[in-house]
Amino acid sequence: MTTPVPAPQPLWYRACVVLGGGALLAAAAVDFFAIIGRHSGIPLLGSIELVQVLVGIAGTVALVAATLHRNHARVRVLSDRVDAGTAGLLYRFNALCGAAFFLALAAGSAWLAHDLWSAQEASELWQLPYRPLRIAGVAGLLGITLLSLRQAWQGREQ
Amino acid sequence: MMATPETGLLGVLALLVLLLLGMPIGAALGLVGISGLTLVLGFEPALIKTGSLVFETLTRYELGTLPLFLLMAQLCFASDASRHLFDAASSWMGHRRGGLAYASIAGCSGFSAINGSSLATAATIGLVAIPEMRRHGYSDALATGTVAAGGTLGQMIPPSGALIVFGIIAQQSIGTLFTAAVIPGLTQMLLYFIVIALLVRWKPALAPSTPRADWATRWATLGKIPDLLLLMLVVIGGIVFGWFTPSEAASVGVAGALLGSLWRRRLGWRELYVALEETLKTSGLIYTVVIGTLVFSVFISVTGLADAAGATITGMGAGRVVTVMLMALFLLLLGSLLDGLALMLLATPILLPVVTSLGLSPIWFGIFIVRAMEIGFIHPPMGMNLYVIQGVAPDVPLWRIFRGVLPFLAADFVHLLLLILFPALALALPAWLA
Repeated sequence: MTTPVPAPQPLWYRACVVLGGGALLAAAAVDFFAIIGRHSGIPLLGSIELVQVLVGIAGTVALVAATLHRNHARVRVLSDRVDAGTAGLLYRFNALCGAAFFLALAAGSAWLAHDLWSAQEASELWQLPYRPLRIAGVAGLLGITLLSLRQAWQGREQ
Repeated sequence: MMATPETGLLGVLALLVLLLLGMPIGAALGLVGISGLTLVLGFEPALIKTGSLVFETLTRYELGTLPLFLLMAQLCFASDASRHLFDAASSWMGHRRGGLAYASIAGCSGFSAINGSSLATAATIGLVAIPEMRRHGYSDALATGTVAAGGTLGQMIPPSGALIVFGIIAQQSIGTLFTAAVIPGLTQMLLYFIVIALLVRWKPALAPSTPRADWATRWATLGKIPDLLLLMLVVIGGIVFGWFTPSEAASVGVAGALLGSLWRRRLGWRELYVALEETLKTSGLIYTVVIGTLVFSVFISVTGLADAAGATITGMGAGRVVTVMLMALFLLLLGSLLDGLALMLLATPILLPVVTSLGLSPIWFGIFIVRAMEIGFIHPPMGMNLYVIQGVAPDVPLWRIFRGVLPFLAADFVHLLLLILFPALALALPAWLA
C-alpha cells in the first residue's frame, strides 16, 4: 500500500505560512527575551507593542489558512443527515454567507483605515506605523472573501 | 427597528437556525450581529464597530496566547509526546487491574497540560492507548469510553483554549482562570479514576491485569519525558506562582517545546513547517469565532436581552443554586444541538450578566461553562469526542463507545454538581495565591 502524496501547495500560500509562522516564532522570541530581561534587570521596553504587531500578522494569515483549508467550525447535526444534493446546496449557501461576513469585516476595516488615514497612527514606544497593518488586514479579509466565493462556486469537497 | 430584548431574542433564534443549517459558527454569529446592529443602530455605526473589533482582536496581546499554546502543542506532538507520556504512565500503573485505563487518563491529563483541546487530546492519546488496551484484552467499550472522557480534560487542565477564549470574551484574567481550573481539573481526573476502579471491581473481566514492568523499564520510560515534565511544571507553575503572565507562559512553552524537540532530534524544517501550518489553521478557526462572537455580543448588549434575562431570573426568586442548576440544564440541552465552542460563545454574553447579578464570580462561571461544554463533547448527538474515537477505532460501533462513556458521563454530572454546590473548588486556589 502506498501513502497518498499530498497535493502541492501554491507558492503564495507557502509564503503566507512562512510569514505567519515566522511572525508567531518572532512573537514568542520577543516575549521570551522580555521575561529574561525583566528577571535579569534589563527590561525589553515595548515588547507588548512588538508582539501585538506580530500576532496581528499571524492572525491575518491564520484566517486565510483556515478558510483555504475549509477549516471553519460548523454544526453538522443537520448537514450530515440530509441527502447529497441538499447538503451541496447548504454548503454553497453557507459559503456565500461566509463570504458576506468576511466582506463586511473587510468593509468595516477599510472604512476605519480610511477614517484614520491622516491620524498617522503608530505604537507609543517603537513608533511602529499601523497603516501597513491595517492595509494588510483589509487585503487579507478581501482575499478570504474571494476564497469563500470560490468555495461557494466549487461546492462541497468529495 | 427598536433595540428591545425581543429584537435580541429574534437574533438568537436566527442564529440557532443558521447554526443548524451548518453555517460556519463565526460567520453565523458575525452575520447575525452585523445585521442586528445595522437594523438597530444603522449601517455606518455597525460597520465601524465591526471594523474596530477586527483590528482590536487580531492585534490583541492576550489573544496571541492562543496560537502560541497551539504551537507548543504541535511541537510536542511532532516529538511523539503522546506516546512517551502514555508509555510512562502504563509502565508505572499498567500492572494493576484497569491499569492501562488509569494510564490513559493520566496520559490525557499530561497531554492536556501541553495542549488545550479536547479533540486533540482524545485523538492523540487514543491512537496510542486504545490499540494497547485492546491488545491486552480490555473491553472495547471501556477502552474507547475512557479515552473519549479523558480527552475532555484537555479543555480544563491549563493551558486551556476554551478558557483563553472565555477570558477574552468575558474580559477576565486568563491567568486567574487557569489557576481556578487546576483543582477542578484534578478532581475531574480523580473522579475518572474512581469510575475505573468501581467498574473493574464490579466486572473484573472488563480489564484483565497485565504483566508488571520491571524497574529498569519504568525508569527508562520516565527518562524519555523529562523535557515534557519540566515544560508542564514551568508553564503551569509559572502562571500559578506569578513568575510570568499566561501570554508570556505561552512563549516560554514554545521556547521549551522547541528545545525539547531539538533534544529529541525530532524537529526538521519539514516538521516545523507542518507545526506552524497546523497552528495557523486552528488559530484561524478560533479567531473567526471570536470575532463573530464579539460582534454578536455587542448586538446582544445593545438590545438589552441579557439584562432582561437577568431581571427575569432574579425576579423568580429561585435562589442561586436553583438558578445555576437551571442554567446547567439549559446548557446541557443546548449542548445536544450545538458543539462546545458554539454553546459557550452563544451562552456567555447572555448568561454572564445573569451570573454577576446573582453575585457569583465570573471566574467561577468560566470554569462552570467550560465544564458544561466538556460534557457536550461526550454526550450524543453532538459528542464530538465520540466521533473522534470512532475515527481512531473504526471497528467499534458508536453505541459501544457511548456505552463505555456512560459511567464517565455520570461522574461528569456529579462533578458539575459539586462545582455548583462548592464554588470554592474553582475559587479557592486563586484566592489563596492572591
